[in-house]
Amino acid sequence: MEGRLTEISLKEALRYLGVRDAPDPQLAAAMEKCSALLRSRARPRITWRQFSLGEDLRLEGTSFFLPGQDIRRHLSCCLRVILLAATLGMETELLLRQTQSRSMADAVLLDALASAAVENVTDNLCRDLAAEFAPLHLTPRYSPGYGDFPLEAQREVCELLNVHRLLGVSLTAGGLMIPQKTVTALAGLTGDPPEKSPRPRCEACPLAGGCSYRKEDRTCESC
Amino acid sequence: MNPADSDLILLDGGMGTMLQAAGLPLGGMPEVWNVTHPEEVQKIHRAYVSAGSRVIYANTFGANRFKAAGSGCSVSELVSAGVRCARAAAAPGCRVALDIGPLGQLLEPLGTLSFEEAYAAFAEMLTAGAGAGADLVVFETMSDLQEVRAGVLAAKETTSLPVWVTMTFEATGRTFLGTTVPAMALTLTGLGVDALGFNCSLGPGELLPLVRELRQWTALPLIFKPNAGLPDPATGAYAMTPEAFREAALQALPLGVRMLGGCCGSTPDFIRALRDGLPQGIQGMDLLEARNGLCSARQVAEDGHLRIIGERINPTGKKRLQQALREGDLDYVLSLAAQQQEAGAELLDVNVGLPGLDEKAAMVRTVQALQGATDLPLQIDSSDPEVIEAALRIYCGKALVNSVNGTRESLERILPLCRKYGAAVVGLCLDENGIPESWQGRVEIARRIVDAAEALGIPRQDLYIDCLTLTVSAQQEQARETLQALMAVRRLGVHTLLGVSNISFGMPERENITVSFLTQALMAGLECPIVNPGQPAIRKAIAAFQVLSGQDPGGEKYIRLCSEFPAPQQTAQAAAPAAAFDANALEKAMLQGQGGEVARLIRAALETSSEMEIIDGQLIPALNRVGAAYEKQQIFLPQLLRAAQAASQGFELLKERLSAGAGAGLSRGKILLATVRGDIHDIGKNIVRVVLENYGYTVLDLGRDVPPGKIVETVLSENIPLVGLSALMTTTLPSMAETIRALREAGADCKIMVGGAVLTPEYAAEIGADYYARDAKASADIAGEVLG
Repeated sequence: MEGRLTEISLKEALRYLGVRDAPDPQLAAAMEKCSALLRSRARPRITWRQFSLGEDLRLEGTSFFLPGQDIRRHLSCCLRVILLAATLGMETELLLRQTQSRSMADAVLLDALASAAVENVTDNLCRDLAAEFAPLHLTPRYSPGYGDFPLEAQREVCELLNVHRLLGVSLTAGGLMIPQKTVTALAGLTGDPPEKSPRPRCEACPLAGGCSYRKEDRTCESC
Repeated sequence: MNPADSDLILLDGGMGTMLQAAGLPLGGMPEVWNVTHPEEVQKIHRAYVSAGSRVIYANTFGANRFKAAGSGCSVSELVSAGVRCARAAAAPGCRVALDIGPLGQLLEPLGTLSFEEAYAAFAEMLTAGAGAGADLVVFETMSDLQEVRAGVLAAKETTSLPVWVTMTFEATGRTFLGTTVPAMALTLTGLGVDALGFNCSLGPGELLPLVRELRQWTALPLIFKPNAGLPDPATGAYAMTPEAFREAALQALPLGVRMLGGCCGSTPDFIRALRDGLPQGIQGMDLLEARNGLCSARQVAEDGHLRIIGERINPTGKKRLQQALREGDLDYVLSLAAQQQEAGAELLDVNVGLPGLDEKAAMVRTVQALQGATDLPLQIDSSDPEVIEAALRIYCGKALVNSVNGTRESLERILPLCRKYGAAVVGLCLDENGIPESWQGRVEIARRIVDAAEALGIPRQDLYIDCLTLTVSAQQEQARETLQALMAVRRLGVHTLLGVSNISFGMPERENITVSFLTQALMAGLECPIVNPGQPAIRKAIAAFQVLSGQDPGGEKYIRLCSEFPAPQQTAQAAAPAAAFDANALEKAMLQGQGGEVARLIRAALETSSEMEIIDGQLIPALNRVGAAYEKQQIFLPQLLRAAQAASQGFELLKERLSAGAGAGLSRGKILLATVRGDIHDIGKNIVRVVLENYGYTVLDLGRDVPPGKIVETVLSENIPLVGLSALMTTTLPSMAETIRALREAGADCKIMVGGAVLTPEYAAEIGADYYARDAKASADIAGEVLG
């Protein structure tokens, strides 16, 4: 299994940028240019590891208990869980930083496109994992920082996945990942098909408080 | 040690997997076992010793202060116990290495850990390891060259042990952080490590091409400690057999590998297989011609071709840069770097000497910022040894120091610094008696510099002699002497470098003289012209020379350059009357992101209006209209920034004119911006900075992960009336609250605005901020309210 970047969704990127209309031709051209640049530089890398779930959501073979009620709900009726990580690599981090000193206008476009790109790499990984483990079903992925699954769990997740050595991902003293365009998550393996519309609820979103979509009684996916 | 005649040293194999097999839980800290299960650790070491290992790595890889926190043990306990375990297992003649892996945190500028913090963390391990009786130090599994540099300097300054380094590469030939094999070799050979190589990464077969490349760039003995093949992702198991490993690994011996072992997935069986399969006596290695050059962490400017050194980061005679340096405006410096890189510079000269400016602090800040923004190697330009040392300490790569001269004081104070940090150095052909008038006199000084450098162990391949250019309008005969000296100096086996611009000082149509002299100097053997590559005539003269001297096959580069910078059409120049100034045209040009057009319109407006009239009467109102369109959601963030960026070209033009005149610069007031401690997401803050700067405010940007104390200190010392704080993560909001509290407690007389994805107006009020800035435009409105 390899890290695969197959599509950078312009629609997603525009949503991150807060652009609600169709982009003007100049913006569309600039997005296209940045997207091509990002594709040429990004080196997606992934890793994952499978664990059995023990008593109190302990990952077997480790001393790590998955914390929080939301994750308990999310993994109910799962006997196994997969920890996973995907990154666009330090090449992208460098590209984003170096672009900032050249052109902030390009930098914001690249940043939004890179966010969309790492989502794509992570989605592809989940698809590959689902195929690998069929006929079992993979629950939607769930990341530290969602709901009451605390961001502090990032350190443990990164440690167990050995992301420093395998992906070149570091944590700051405050527990944030560099390269910034990196996703860690877990997904449960279950024999039962998952319920319909398994989207994470807004209440579980760390950005729910300041979300401009919610203020207008919309959700981001509906855009 | 000469790799050609030294013996082969067998190292050990994997430790982590052996410990896990002995019962260490996944995610548990292996080094704690030195204290809790010393007999298990010793047992593993003994297995390697009896398999033939002659250097065993103590179980101290991750025993640094960051990883030890929370383990219940101190760094010193973990390291000492680890070295003792290895010592107890070591047979006579078997050496114990203090093993040091990555700290786990990323260094600045991409990360948040400072060079000094990294140095201190390594020094702590080194002191404990040397005290416990380690025979040598190995830094391994490194992917950040700057982190290795901190470690190697700490090792050299706190112990007298031999230092080995192995780094981890991907099959692309780069580390995760983008360091190339030549950059590693040049930098670490220069720093004086005793052996160099690869560990972990990949299997032996996949790594062989990298070993071959490394051999070309260093004469040091090479270390080879690859993984036992590639891991199975599902199980984490490595598939290679000891015999297959041996077969691939032994192919590295003719390439100069003298220390051989295994990494992940390898066991004592692998070492035994290596021992049993060693050839009788080592074949002489294939000695390749050593390659050399200057480098950053990610890019090498190799010797042997014409390399342009960009001269523009030097404030002498440049009012705009002087102003930027005094205001700490690094963005302007970075823009000079980017322009020169685009114009074809391969190295950048960095000079920040300015009366009344703390040169050392400014140099360190500038070098740090440049390292984050460009991959070009740097030339550290200062006459003060303290400034040079401070820059060399944090410069990641092999720098060029500008300069020493033939005086004893200069040679004695600066050459040892170049030796210690592995830098190349520029030697100026002048001494106590000034610049010799004859070319022979200059060559004589060059010889003296070569001798002094070689006596210290700096090879002549690392010397760049500057024969000095004098102004032809004042000393006409000196142009010839410089060219003669160039030709003679080439024969010393050194490199040559020359600043050419001042040849034409005081002459009309200077460019003719400069270009002609440059061409003659290149013909005389000049390798590194220090020029402004942004001047098309200069660039084209160099490109033309490369065509004529056969360095540009088919003239491809020249043709490309000419299509990028077509010769100006004389008719077009004469025509094109300045269009009447038109506020709508300005707004339109801004909205379309046409910076050149904005600058043209402003140049036209300057014929009838003053700079300040244009700013207050035209630029700001146009920006306000753009801002209003943004608020009405007629345009969005990308268009807002595009407009701001275009406007900045107009502002830049006006700033240059204002700083060139005697009048005060333009500023509507100072604003401090920072992303609070713990947070590294700074793109939002940087957007706000660009917009505020375009409204004419002076922004002091303290960067990201900024501790409250530094913010308070700056607000007080700089008398800042408005502070903008940014945080993206819920986990860093408390840090924002703490910063506000600290500002209030210190009695800072400033308004505070806060912003960031997770903030709400309610929370902003709760933590005591004066304003909640929804977006960049809102922050400009707040600035207008507070500062006018």
